Amino acid sequence: MSVKTISKDLIGTKLDRYEFDVEKGKIREFCQAIGETNSIYFDLEAAKKAGYEDIPAPPTYSTVIQFWGYPKIWQDMENMGVDTSRILHLKEKYTYLKPIYPGKVSSQGECVNVTVGKMDTMTFKTTIKNAKGESIVEAEMSIFIRKPEA
Amino acid sequence: MSKIDFDKLEVGYELPPLKTDAITHANLVRYAGASGDFNPIHNDPDFARKTGLDGTIAHGMYVMAQLGRLCTSWADQKQIREFGVTFKNMTKPGQKLTCTGKIKRKKEENGEKLITVSLEAADDSGEVKCSGEMIVVA
Repeated sequence: MSVKTISKDLIGTKLDRYEFDVEKGKIREFCQAIGETNSIYFDLEAAKKAGYEDIPAPPTYSTVIQFWGYPKIWQDMENMGVDTSRILHLKEKYTYLKPIYPGKVSSQGECVNVTVGKMDTMTFKTTIKNAKGESIVEAEMSIFIRKPEA
Repeated sequence: MSKIDFDKLEVGYELPPLKTDAITHANLVRYAGASGDFNPIHNDPDFARKTGLDGTIAHGMYVMAQLGRLCTSWADQKQIREFGVTFKNMTKPGQKLTCTGKIKRKKEENGEKLITVSLEAADDSGEVKCSGEMIVVA
């Protein structure tokens, strides 16, 4: 098996645009998986009382949109030369512009940086928009790729 | 409704910490299903060992989600403007996390009162797994 490599030429590569339906049940499932118990994520009345229009998605929910909405990411990464079995997450940053509520969202990721050398890293920026086309979350994810043992 | 009073909070204030139980393999399988991140290094010990790890490791995003719980148990989620972390060490099943936060900076910018909170998730031995910051609009 040849050793895969990434290159700086990947900077600027846009991934496919995709849509995802944020569902209350999926928000509940995610909250249960992370141990979140605040009633605003489970009960519409509690959410409204706290000033939300609908059940909000918790701060790291964007990851659900990215993985469930775009399962092709693994294949894309392999195609870009990434050995996906050796990926580790390095950084994640979210900027929240509007709450994520149940309903259709759309998203598109772009490779915004690559470093090669002692540590190979890639950074993807993803903007998530609501059904009105307004940007609601900006996510920036960096991964690094572990080198095979010498 | 704002839970945060800008004027009453001092730099150095520490958020009530959040402690998790020991993370189990089942937690990670469940997180994989909920998040959609099925990278087998998180759910298949044999696969993880083949890639040079000594067993499965927690999703970084599972650890970030614990810090997220710390943030939303303190601030109203609508007030959180930014939330970012760097992953420093791997979290393994069996480890417990303590998530802490401390006010690092207060500033007024373009008429907004902003509070920067530094965040950290560490295991019982004190090894930091993940650290970062959140910016809250007070």
